[in-house]
Formats: sequence, C-alpha cells, structure tokens
Amino acid sequence: MAGYILKRLISAVPVLFGISIIVFVIMAMIPGDPATAILGSYATPENVEKLNRDLGLDKPMVQRYFIWLGNMLQGEFGRSFSLNRDVLDEVLDRFGATLILAGTAFVLCALLGIAAGVVSAARQYGLADKAITFAVLLGISIPSFFLGMMMILIFAVKLRWFPVSGMWPIYGARDLPALASHLTLPALALAVVATGVIARLSRSAMLEVLRQDFIRTARAKGVHERAVIWRHALRAAMVSIIPVLGVQAGFVLSGAVYIEIVFQWPGVGRMLVDAILKRDILLVQGGVVFVAACYVLFNIVVDVAQSMLDPRIKT
Amino acid sequence: MKSFLPLLARNRLALGGLIVMGLVVLLALATPLLPLADPDVTNTAIRFKAPFSDGALLGTDHLGRDLASRLLWGTRLSLAVGFAAAVIAATLGAAIGIAAGFYGGRTDNIIMRGVDMLMAFPYILLALAIVAALGPGLMNALIAVAAVNIPFFARNIRGITVGIAHKEFVDAARLSGMTNARIILTEVLPNVLPVIVIAMSTTVGWMILETAGLSFLGLGSQPPQADLGSMLGEARAALISNPHTSVVPGAMILIIVMAINLLGDGGRDALDPRLKSGALSRPMPATRVQRSGPVPAAGGETLLALRGLKTQFHVKDRIYKAVGGVDLQVNSGECLGIIGESGSGKSVTALSVMGLVASPPGVITGGAVHYKGEDLIGAPYEKLRALRGNRIAYIFQDPLATLHPLYTVGDQLIEAVRAHHPFGKTEARAHAIDLLKSVRIPNAEQRVTSYPHELSGGMRQRIGIAMALANDPEVIIADEPTTALDVTVQAQILSLLDDLRRERGLAIIFITHDFGVVSQLCDRVAVMFAVPDCRRGAGRNHPDGTRPSLYRAADGLRSRTWAGAARTGGDPGSAAGGRQSAPGMRLCGPLP
Repeated sequence: MAGYILKRLISAVPVLFGISIIVFVIMAMIPGDPATAILGSYATPENVEKLNRDLGLDKPMVQRYFIWLGNMLQGEFGRSFSLNRDVLDEVLDRFGATLILAGTAFVLCALLGIAAGVVSAARQYGLADKAITFAVLLGISIPSFFLGMMMILIFAVKLRWFPVSGMWPIYGARDLPALASHLTLPALALAVVATGVIARLSRSAMLEVLRQDFIRTARAKGVHERAVIWRHALRAAMVSIIPVLGVQAGFVLSGAVYIEIVFQWPGVGRMLVDAILKRDILLVQGGVVFVAACYVLFNIVVDVAQSMLDPRIKT
Repeated sequence: MKSFLPLLARNRLALGGLIVMGLVVLLALATPLLPLADPDVTNTAIRFKAPFSDGALLGTDHLGRDLASRLLWGTRLSLAVGFAAAVIAATLGAAIGIAAGFYGGRTDNIIMRGVDMLMAFPYILLALAIVAALGPGLMNALIAVAAVNIPFFARNIRGITVGIAHKEFVDAARLSGMTNARIILTEVLPNVLPVIVIAMSTTVGWMILETAGLSFLGLGSQPPQADLGSMLGEARAALISNPHTSVVPGAMILIIVMAINLLGDGGRDALDPRLKSGALSRPMPATRVQRSGPVPAAGGETLLALRGLKTQFHVKDRIYKAVGGVDLQVNSGECLGIIGESGSGKSVTALSVMGLVASPPGVITGGAVHYKGEDLIGAPYEKLRALRGNRIAYIFQDPLATLHPLYTVGDQLIEAVRAHHPFGKTEARAHAIDLLKSVRIPNAEQRVTSYPHELSGGMRQRIGIAMALANDPEVIIADEPTTALDVTVQAQILSLLDDLRRERGLAIIFITHDFGVVSQLCDRVAVMFAVPDCRRGAGRNHPDGTRPSLYRAADGLRSRTWAGAARTGGDPGSAAGGRQSAPGMRLCGPLP
C-alpha cells in the first residue's frame, strides 16, 4: 500500500508541473508591459529597459518560467499589493475557511447523494424513486448562488434559524456551535448540486450492480434484502461511485467561490474574485496554483481509497 | 432517428422541457420586436416597484429600470453567450480531438497529456485565471467558459475519432491518395458531427450556468449591459429589502437550465435501447407472482414437488413463456437430473423454486412449489428468505460472476451461515474453514482470506458448493455447476457432490445439458424441450402432445431422443426430432 501511495505521488509530479506551465502561460497572456505599468506611460525607454533587466523580464521565456517555478517551490509566491501581505500567508489563512466549507459540503453531498441514489434504485419506479428523481433534477438545475440567496431569505431572514452570513459571530465566542450555525446554510447550498449528480450516478451504478449474478447469489443465501442492498450492491457500486466523488470534489471546490461570495465566507474563492477585480495578479496566481495543487493531492487520496476498496486493483 | 421524436414525445417531462425551451428561445428572439421599456433607462423615482404594478409587469430594479424588459434582454444575452461558448468549445475541442485521434502516436500523446493537465484543474480556477489575465468583461468570460470546456470535447471526440480512423473506408481513402486534411473533412468529420452536436446540446445548459456565474461574480457582463447572472449579482445588495429583483432573474436561470436538462435526459433515454427493453430495471427481492387458475394441491409426503409451474417474462407488451407447466419432484437422498437444450427453461424452473427469477421481467403465472407439503409460490418474503440457503440452497454456474468480487470467500461463507444462525464471528469463521475442508480445498485456513479472483475456476466452484452446504440444507439445486470447468475438475466436483449426497442424505436437483454428467450422478432424469411455437393447446412437437413446453420425469433414462443423443454423442437439441431449436425464449404475442 505504501508503495502504491508513493507511486501515485510520483505520478502527480508531471501533473503539478503541467499545472504550473498552464498558469504561467495564462499569466503571460496579460496584455501590457509590467515595467511600463510600474513606471507609468511617461517612462524613458532606458528606465523601462533597466527595470526589465532588474525584474528579469529580459531573459528568455523558458528561463523566466524556471525562476518563477523555483520561487514558488520555495514558498515565495510574491507579495499582494492590494493587501500588502505575503501571498502565501494570505492564501493559507483563507484556505482553512474554504476547507471547512467545501469539506463539510463534500461530506454532505457524498452521504446524501449515495443514500438517495441507493434508495432510489432499490425502489425503482416507486414513489420514493420518483420523488428523489424530481428533487435531483431540481438540484442540478438550480444555480448554487441563487439557491444560497433564497436560503438566506427563507431560513435566515424570515425564519431566523441561522445567521445571514459570515463565518463567525461579530460579537461572542468563536466556538464550534457558532461555527456550525454559520456553516449550515452555505454548506447545504454548496452541497445541493453535487448531491444531485452523485445521487443520479449512484442510482444507475446500483441498478447496474443489482442485475449482477452475485446479487442473486446473496439472495439465494438467504441474506436479508437490506444487507443485499447496502452491503453487497452498494459495496460493488462504490467502485464506480468513488471516482465520481473525486470529480465532484472539484465541482464543490468550484461552487465554493459562488457560495463564499453569497454568504460572505472568508475563503479563497472570495479572495480570488476580489483580487481579480483589484487586478492583484500575484494573489490570483498564488491562489490558483495552491488550490489546484491541493486538488491534485486530493485526487491521489481518492485513488488510494479506490484501491483499498477494490482488491482487484494491483497496489 | 425516425423513432426518436415519438419516443421523445412519449416522455412527457422531456416534451415539457422542449416546449418551455422553445418558448424561452422564441421570447428571446422576439425581444426587440416586443413593446418593452428601454432596459437601460434609469429612473430612481420609481425604483423597487413591486411586480404586477402599473407600467411594470415584474416591477423595477434598484435604478428604476423595468425588470420585465431587462429580464428578456438578459435572457437573450445569456442564451447567446451560452450558445456561443458551447459552439466555440465544441469547434475547438472537436478540432483538437480529431487531430489527436486521427494522427495518433506522439501527437495524440502530447495533446492528451495537455488535456489531462487542463482537466486536473477545478474548472473555476482555470476560468478565474483566464479572466484575471484578460480582465473582467462578457467577451472574456465567454472565452474563459469556452476554454474551460474544450478538454471535455477534445477527450470525447478523440475517442470517437480513434474508432473511425481505423475503419476500412478511411484506409480506402488513404490508398486512393487523398491528403490527410481531405480525409478528415470528407470522411471523418461527417461521422463525428452527430456526436459533436449531441455533446454540445447537453452542455449548453451548463455553459449558460457558468457564464451567468461569472457575471454574477462581477467578472462577466459589465453595466449597463446585463445578462441574467449580472442582474442577479446586482440585485444581491437588495436581497433582503426587495427580494423580487433577485427572484426574477434567478427563476429564469432555473427555468432555462431545468428545461435543457429535461430535454437532455429525455433525449438520452430515447436513445438508450436498454431503457426501451426494460433491461435497466433492477430485480426485486422475490419473483413477482400472478397466478391465475387453481393452485395444485400438495400430494403426498415429497420433500420438494413442483406442480404445473409456469413462469413467464413480461417485457413491455410482450410475453415470453419460459416455463409452461412443469411437474417435478425430489426426495431426500435422491438426485434428479434436469436435462434439456438451451432455452428450454431449466434454469428458470430452478430459480422459480425460491423466487429468484429476475423480476421484472419474470412473473410466476401458475402452479405450485410444495416444500414438505407447503406451497412456496407467493409465500411472504420473510418466509422465503428463511428457507433460502438454509433448507434449499443453490449452486450456480460461473462462480466468478456469482461470487461477490470484493469480499473474501471467508466473509461470504460466514455471511451465508450468519444469515440463518446467530453464530459469533469466530465461531462462524471456524465453521467456514470446516466447510472449505469438506469441499476438499487445500490450505483452508489461508484460503478463507482469498478473494474470488485469486482462485482457480475449480476452486471457485468448490467455494460455491461450500456456500450451498453452509447451513446443511435438505435440497441443493445445482444449475450447471460444472459447465465452465475442464473435464478433470468436472469429474472431481461431480464425485464431491455425489459423496455429499450420500453422507448427508441431500436431495439434489442437477441441471445440465451434458448427458454424461447426468448418467454419472442422477437416479432419475427429467427432460425439458424448447418449443418454437407455443400456441395454446397445440403441443405439436412432443409425442405426449398435451403441453407446449415439456418435461418428462422418467424413471431411468427413458426419453428416446436424449438417449439417442447420448449414444451418438451428438447434441441432444438437434436430435430432438431434427427441429431447429429456438434459442432463448419463445415469443407468444401480446397479452390477452
């Protein structure tokens, strides 16, 4: 198992490398000349040239890429001009909040989605199946930012069950209950779309598995139908559900950007949008590289989980 | 394609989606012609007017602009941008995919590596990075959304192209001296186009949602121009005081995306042949029972007796009669062979006993299964479950498919025991090892922790037998347990079953189409025939002449055709009166 994890980690290196190239290329697309931007349009050509030399911008593209990459690997993501703060520090601070939000939503959508899919498949064409299918359709069609706004309106403003926005109360203790009450609405709103997708996929994966011969064997053994569904069929269906969980984690992370804006959640997504609007390119770049790298590592975790679940995968 | 539209029409939800989408597109196209207020004229004196007020059907927004007008213009813009993004992504993605798939080799490798890299990003990070580089704006948001979706198209289209690039007509075009560019345009592209169009239509909704999302974040359309996303984004500030300004554009996005999703689902269902045939239904815990006519009474003290058993498959409005009235019986210590050609209903007969025929489509329509005088057909699930594997156990063919691939054989054996006996885990484990020993598996202690795929075919079959023996059943129904095995292993398994029968006084029903096996193991044999024509009451093909689907339980080896087949070593099916045997089941027309 340790060997397999190591192998997957090594295979992630080229992917991380590729991600860095893509980000570098995108950032190189930025129109205009940084030196002119810094010195203003009245700068003399000599000064521009000197600054370009000082910034290393006169070097060839490939060399610049490796300098850039080397800096990043040493944790030097640059300094955000809008916050006057080290980019990595800011990203790390914000990433914790995103992780709490997206992590909770991910756990929610995985549990709810799989449960809904299993029930739906076990009761195919029954009332529960129809109700779940309809709810799933609604869930995958509603934009998460609109859903979040409506949830604020109903559960925070009208019913006053939860706070309207933010991660912590302005006054009062920053403890777990406070976090939980602030987290409920955004995590739910974020989970809805992925729950729908996972439910749909789990349903079809379960239907596929329930027709297999080994299900008939389980029934022939006299295993109770509950165990046939949840132990035999679900275990086999998980093999095709887990990879989708990995993909959906990416969508949850993406959706977090909208939810963080709607609920004023102090995460990376909101930071990125603010940074784009303020043209704070270094902050955007740092956030994108960091989160993308984390996502790649998360997918390794998914692969490892998959190999632990399926003994047929050679580890 | 001809049957596609009626099918789509039959799917009412999809039709609803089509109608709604048609209306929305029509409204969007007609927007410039409608008598609407100018969407960009501000009048703060009448800001936040409620819906259905004078002069403003849907009210006004925070700058006093007419919401109905802005909604329609915004819808128009959102649809256009989403559609444009889909077309751009599809075109570029298809070009990349075709190039990779057509040229193959190193080109393919490099392109697909790049695509994999792009797909390693959560999509919004890539979109945000692009917008960050190009600057906020509707055009740039469109480019970002299109770019993010290119890998999806490239990967899909590449797969299709690889298949086409190796077809004969492409080789022929190459041999005729056409240039690669011409082959791609005239031979490959026409074949890939339908896939591109379908993939595009399923992603349009997604693209609309994504561009609306970027606009919502303030990175897409810039004021005063507004698509649905930026309308929602601007309304957010007044969410609590004037929710209608948010609800109007939000509901519109919901309606559009839902209509497209319904349409997409309907289209997918209409194109999926498995759904039409009902092959996607899951089998219920027990076969459906729908008996008409009198239920045969139990007679005598037989252990297991089938009386007039009829099982059918109901697929849509067709009925396939699999078993048409079978009588069988078996007593303790006795081995009954059931032999017959493929499709004569042997397996279905066997599975009907414990209600294990997949249902839907299976339905037991008549007869009775008496176990110790008690009818099991239509018995409550809990009663069937208590008997399954406990008193009446099955051994199936092909144990690679019939054993759960992800549990160790030990776990599966332990489960078989614990389904009926409240054994502790260690106790059950010891019992499992004993069971493995009783079917002569070497190193039983180690084998307990093996997964089915780690064992040989003969070994797996023994596991299947051990599982059937787990609860010391009275009847074992073995459905072609040796068919997949080579002759040596087959002989070992047969002698094992024979020993077990003698030791434990088991009743065995042994299903096979191999006559040699029957003569080696069985006391009596029943023969089943597949009858191509099954008009009611017209049993033409059997000397007995009374029943269409036939079996004959005979003392010794009585049936002439089968005996003949055994002697000549030929296929019994072809010996049975020289008929063409109908494969599978027989079609018997619509339900009465």
